[in-house]
Amino acid sequence: MSVPESWFIARARRRFAMTRECSLLLPRVCAALADPRQPGSDDTCLEKLLDWFRDLTELDPTVKLLQDNPCLTEFISSVLALPEPSPSILSFTLRLAGILAASEIRFQHLQQEKLLIRLFGRDGPLNSAVWEDASVRSGWVEGVHSMMHHQPALHFLCDDGSIDVIFTLQGDPSLFVASAASQLLVHMLTLSVESETTKPLSTKDCDWPACAQMIIKRIEDSLQSSSASHIEQSLKLLTSLFGSCRATWTEVLWLGVAKQIESFLTEETVQAQHMLANLFLNMAWSPVFCDAEGSFWALVTSALEHLTPVQAGPLAVGILRLYKCPQDVRIQAVTVLLQPMDCILRAASQPLEYAGLLDESVSDPTAVESLLSSKSSCASLLCQTLAHLEELLSLIRLPVDLPCTSLLRSLMTILQFCNGFLCPASPLGSMISRILINSFRVQRSALDVIAALSEKKGGDSLIGSLFDVLLAYLESPNTSPTVLKKTFQATSKWLMRLQELSCSNSQWQQTQKILEDVFLVLQKRLCSPCWEVRDSSLEFLTVLIKYLRDQDEFRQSLLSSEVPRLTENLLEDPESYVRASAVTAVGHLAFITYFASESPVVGNQYNKENTVAKLQEILSTDPEGFPRRAVISIFTKWLRQGCTGQLEDTEQFVSRVIQTVEYDLDWEVRLGGLELVEVFCSQTICQLGLPECPYAPVSSAVTSSIHQDELLQIFCRTKLFSFLFRSLCDCDKPVGQRACDILLGLRSSFYPISTLKDSQGTGDSPARDSIAWLQRTLRQGSLAQNFLTDGGNGVDFQDPEIMMLALGTIDLEELHDELNKSSDHVEKSPQSLLQDILATVGTIEENEADCY
Amino acid sequence: MPEIKVTPLGAGQDVGRSCILVSIAGKNVMLDCGMHMGYNDDRRFPDFSYITQNGRLTDFLDCVIISHFHLDHCGALPYFSEMVGYDGPIYMTHPTKAICPILLEDYRKITVDKKGETNFFTSQMIKDCMKKVVAVHLHQTVQVDEELEIKAYYAGHVLGAAMFQIKVGCESVVYTGDYNMTPDRHLGAAWIDKCRPDLLITESTYATTIRDSKRCRERDFLKKVHETVERGGKVLIPVFALGRAQELCILLETFWERMNLKAPIYFSTGLTEKANHYYKLFITWTNQKIRKTFVQRNMFEFKHIKAFDRAFADNPGPMVVFATPGMLHAGQSLQIFRKWAGNEKNMVIMPGYCVQGTVGHKILSGQRKLEMEGRQILEVKMQVEYMSFSAHADAKGIMQLIRQAEPRNVLLVHGEAKKMEFLKQKIEQEFHVNCYMPANGETTTILTNPSIPVDISLGLLKRETAIGLLPDVKKPKLMHGTLIMKDNSFRLVSPEQALKELGLAEHQLRFTCRVHIQDPRKEHETVLRVYNHLKGVLKDYSVQHLPDGSITVESILIQATAHSEDQGTKVLLVSWTYQDEELGSYLTSLLKKGLPQSTA
Repeated sequence: MSVPESWFIARARRRFAMTRECSLLLPRVCAALADPRQPGSDDTCLEKLLDWFRDLTELDPTVKLLQDNPCLTEFISSVLALPEPSPSILSFTLRLAGILAASEIRFQHLQQEKLLIRLFGRDGPLNSAVWEDASVRSGWVEGVHSMMHHQPALHFLCDDGSIDVIFTLQGDPSLFVASAASQLLVHMLTLSVESETTKPLSTKDCDWPACAQMIIKRIEDSLQSSSASHIEQSLKLLTSLFGSCRATWTEVLWLGVAKQIESFLTEETVQAQHMLANLFLNMAWSPVFCDAEGSFWALVTSALEHLTPVQAGPLAVGILRLYKCPQDVRIQAVTVLLQPMDCILRAASQPLEYAGLLDESVSDPTAVESLLSSKSSCASLLCQTLAHLEELLSLIRLPVDLPCTSLLRSLMTILQFCNGFLCPASPLGSMISRILINSFRVQRSALDVIAALSEKKGGDSLIGSLFDVLLAYLESPNTSPTVLKKTFQATSKWLMRLQELSCSNSQWQQTQKILEDVFLVLQKRLCSPCWEVRDSSLEFLTVLIKYLRDQDEFRQSLLSSEVPRLTENLLEDPESYVRASAVTAVGHLAFITYFASESPVVGNQYNKENTVAKLQEILSTDPEGFPRRAVISIFTKWLRQGCTGQLEDTEQFVSRVIQTVEYDLDWEVRLGGLELVEVFCSQTICQLGLPECPYAPVSSAVTSSIHQDELLQIFCRTKLFSFLFRSLCDCDKPVGQRACDILLGLRSSFYPISTLKDSQGTGDSPARDSIAWLQRTLRQGSLAQNFLTDGGNGVDFQDPEIMMLALGTIDLEELHDELNKSSDHVEKSPQSLLQDILATVGTIEENEADCY
Repeated sequence: MPEIKVTPLGAGQDVGRSCILVSIAGKNVMLDCGMHMGYNDDRRFPDFSYITQNGRLTDFLDCVIISHFHLDHCGALPYFSEMVGYDGPIYMTHPTKAICPILLEDYRKITVDKKGETNFFTSQMIKDCMKKVVAVHLHQTVQVDEELEIKAYYAGHVLGAAMFQIKVGCESVVYTGDYNMTPDRHLGAAWIDKCRPDLLITESTYATTIRDSKRCRERDFLKKVHETVERGGKVLIPVFALGRAQELCILLETFWERMNLKAPIYFSTGLTEKANHYYKLFITWTNQKIRKTFVQRNMFEFKHIKAFDRAFADNPGPMVVFATPGMLHAGQSLQIFRKWAGNEKNMVIMPGYCVQGTVGHKILSGQRKLEMEGRQILEVKMQVEYMSFSAHADAKGIMQLIRQAEPRNVLLVHGEAKKMEFLKQKIEQEFHVNCYMPANGETTTILTNPSIPVDISLGLLKRETAIGLLPDVKKPKLMHGTLIMKDNSFRLVSPEQALKELGLAEHQLRFTCRVHIQDPRKEHETVLRVYNHLKGVLKDYSVQHLPDGSITVESILIQATAHSEDQGTKVLLVSWTYQDEELGSYLTSLLKKGLPQSTA
């Protein structure tokens, strides 16, 4: 491991190094930043400068940086000397000092200069007027956090009494400062215990180090206080502590506060319950607690009972994601999640018609009932529960058995409430159905769960009625586009399930009927005036074809419907997104209509030449990128699956596509063209029996050279080389990189490594001249003038010999390295940053205020 | 006390990425979801983890509103909806919905063009995000849910830009987004009615500036372009796909027409067509002049501006080229710049903001020797010009909008702290309203005093009318009834109806009081004296002496007993119902004064 690690460090050192140029620029930058007459520098510059220092100091903990660049300490001193420093510069200085003081030796250095005490101590900014500015407080906390890596820093803060400041900042009006202060306390507590404890801590003999002692005392005190915000802050602190630290001492700390926290579950006077779920969850992930016998899990069980259904939900789903958890707690958790669904089912059914989902409930069922029967809480409780169920169903292995059939029935009930198809007689049912009618949020969430449920066993007996519900949604004009999209997703998932079922139990009649209904409604939706609906319909169709195209019933129903014709019509849709989706759908349809091994069952009314011509027209004339990108990606897909041979000569096809895309304005289309070329090359090489891998044994030198010639001729005929070489000079980097990769691959096919060097001297003089020209042009990269347009430069890209020579002669590796240099390395370099900061000194302020 | 809370996650005392959280009457709304182009890591997006500590974003937020298509207002939207996981409603105007994906796609292409860019949204994500957007019309009240409604007002600034009013019950907030109070070449001025919101959240980019007329800047721009072309130079104008580009195209097109210039003008990306299509489609959003002339000549059908081919850059002679991207950091604009930079006859005009690190930023700050890839040094000899065309309201415009909307409080965003401070004082002085300017992450709480609408039952109203009190608009009237608070609504009904509705039994509450009177006579004689006294004083009331020896005045009952220890003192037990509380108190105080001698 040591080798790659040191390589990474070496690379990082090079990238972030304090070069000579940088160390020359830095004093001027520092002087400019500390000059109050200069307008404030762009915030992003200051942020990036700090990023650089962070990288520099992480790589080298010594004091060299400060010694070699005294301007840094001078800068801090001069900012401190300013009577009214600007908040942004002061904040920057605090953060910079913290970063520099992260190593003990640099900390001592700054201490000797008395800079840290002046910045972070009682007489520093925290007692001046600038403290009012949130950015200064934030800079102070961040600075302290950065330096907090060693004991001297810890003592510096604790001895000075600044720890009180941090506690106060937990309640700061700025969310950022409050959160950072809480994180800082967690960090300090961990650092103190882990660096200052000499013997293991236990409940009996608990000798906390001084700093930890102070923090723990404050936590305990605020938990006992009557102030809700103090309690909340301490719970937040404990939550992140248990989330980040898994050491055994956390249990000792917990035992000191456990009783108090337990009491929050039952005492209604303290409004802290909403914080408890997160705390318990973080504890449950820690081996310190989850391995503990009994007491912790008893607390979790009690929480599931006492928290409100809304508060208990996140805890329940979190528990179900745990690897280690007693089974009875899991069952309780799942019961909490299913309770609202159970309530829905009971509210909807006549007495004794269906059993509910649950035999017993964890908490008082009337609490759930009253939440569901209130307008303000019904939808939010349901949405939360449904989201949790979806999360649960996404787990690869369910930790408990779910009653999938009843759950599905309950979900269908919710959907029927929402579209007004079900108005139960029971008072609760009628109340819920009135509240839920037209609730898009609930519809979307329920459909997500239905889709997720398709992958679990169970619910097959309801499949018919499920499709009734889904079809009602697909048909209804009241279904909103977002709900419709989710309905499509659920429908496609259940259609796949239906196919599996009909294969096993030969219920093909039911399947056939459902498919016919689906295509009937799809026909209508493809003609929707709303582009979102047309697009979702096409996406739905593509998904269906992808997964079901091998099923006879599916193909029959699809081809006997109007869907294929309507889909082709949408190639001319006014909306580009829809055109692109239509291209993809038509491309997939072709696998059934044109490229199927058996001809389609229904008459072949589809004219493939016509369709291909349409797609090619889109590729060459569509004013927008999406449809063109879709065409090139479909063409590549066809080529990959070996379908293009059925259209015409593959060579001609590829050649035509290359000529269409090489001048495309959208670089992603050009890139797509290169991908097609790559597939074509590897397929042709394979067909001719040339090993793609240069290290593979070559069968015979003679056959190999015959094949090589043939191959070169094919590639030259398709005009592939001119496209590839031209792409090397593309102004968009990814295109050049891809072309270079392909050329390198081709070269390795034509030139085994051993022969590469020999090739370089071959060729007659005019050929050498034209190669030299090509080399010069390629070196100019994207600045090359009129590359390949006049053809009079002597390079015949269709001449196999010259191309063979070009492949062998041109230093593709060098080009590859050049192209792979990050196109924005100039932007990211520290030197460029320092130059930019210096250059903006004294410029007109108005430029900066001008946004986009 | 009801309150409105505002927390900027972006645009709080800065001109970065706008993202403002508003909590009003239990509803949570996110205003704008912008990105910061100055970063290429997670810092480019607002830190959404601060929105809610507990629970899912979709459950917490009721909706997201996007004010206009600029990336610092909408650039993080696909990230937020497709990668962070917000699945709720998003609102924007029709033109914004149409144009937003073009800009997002444009920026995505530029971003992924660079190496090492990860965690960025894809084309599919942009589309999926746009499919979730609900487009709104100007002045259309959109009901987000039963309580929350929003309404868009014209904001100028760019095509489709809108200010939004967010209203829950009678509490409301107006968010201006970016706006312009003076009409420009193709857009009108922002307008809002006197909606008197509890809070106006306004941008303050030019908080301290009184901007010179845009005409001057335009004249200056045309002069510079003209001079360069006249001397045979080439002009490069790096732009983003849409927005400023169209404005400049109109400007140049008209100028070329008027001056009969022949030098070609090219637009490099093929995007003009689509952009122009939208400008045509949303003609109602442009200003009056464009709408009027539309019939004779469509301003967006350009005669002089043609599509650019890569090879044209090497053509001799003058030309003007609009090329993307706008900051000269990749792609075609950078390629052309590198070709033309060495010739002092040429000129580059930067019409917008450039982030640090980009070539655009470097040349604007005066750097003339640029290190390009491969350590090549590019010497910039061409002229570099900056033209600010951004259309924001200046200090005068902001004050004008406040005057127009008459808010109860003002909150400044999208500006620099120092300038905001100045404007804040000005606003507080002139309008006597509180003005706030929270930093990012800071929550401002504004107390509101909403009048709460209550429905009154017809029965109660009829009863009141029957008493003879006819409604009078000018006179506020006190009305008695029982207030039922249920499902977030308030209804005033008669007590009987309330009991019936709630299925409760009526309990009579009686107040009692004992009054001691010095009277040695027998009890029934004392009662008679009391009766006569009251009869004399309360002439308008029905005073009765009942056979059981008690007295009633309306519902008030008076009984007399002798004091157990002192027979000379009689104890009068007075009891009354809540309805007659006033009369009961009056009677008690009357009896406490004792009985007049004359009635003896």
